[in-house]
Amino acid sequence: MLLAYKLALASPRIHARGIEASEFAVDADRHGIHAVPAIVVDDRYAWAGAVPEAAFVERVLAAVGD
Amino acid sequence: MNVLGEQEQDAVRSVLATLEQDVRVTLELGPTATPVTVLAAGGRELDTGAETQAVLEDVCSLSERVALEIVEHEKPGPWPRTTIGPGLVYLGMPLGYELTTLVHGILEAGRSEPSLTRASRDRLDALEHDVEIDVFVTPT
Repeated sequence: MLLAYKLALASPRIHARGIEASEFAVDADRHGIHAVPAIVVDDRYAWAGAVPEAAFVERVLAAVGD
Repeated sequence: MNVLGEQEQDAVRSVLATLEQDVRVTLELGPTATPVTVLAAGGRELDTGAETQAVLEDVCSLSERVALEIVEHEKPGPWPRTTIGPGLVYLGMPLGYELTTLVHGILEAGRSEPSLTRASRDRLDALEHDVEIDVFVTPT
């Protein structure tokens, strides 16, 4: 989650939220989330699991098609 | 009464001592849109808003650079919602590992320069539209 925050602080284009999955189970279920951390980009499930910074950035860019 | 133990307070205080600028933390509380029952160890039912408020009051009291604002809503919504600095959002109770993340989120917001590498920042400069990143976590 901290990486998402770092991206948001580095780019005015990025908005980051951490969401506690058990309290917001409806949202987690809507995305079919079974493992955490799970990353959802622009309301679409992207991936699960922690990755290094460079990979995180590339996965976000791939998810939005840039 | 402090929620954090003395060792936790010392750890948080030492992290926040490195803040380079002031950080505002906003906690929004109110009736939850989709009520859930969250149980603590031993089966005690948790009031997620009250627990979050207690934790944030503890954390924010450990640095003069961190100011906490509490906003009460009457309408149901995704509460508790914590917003750090310019818009780092956390929905739910920041407990366990997520408390560490929250404290480090405050630290990141309090830096005079982003800590992301220059290479990553250059890649993000290519973005042509806004992007929403949601990270689902559990308080382990």
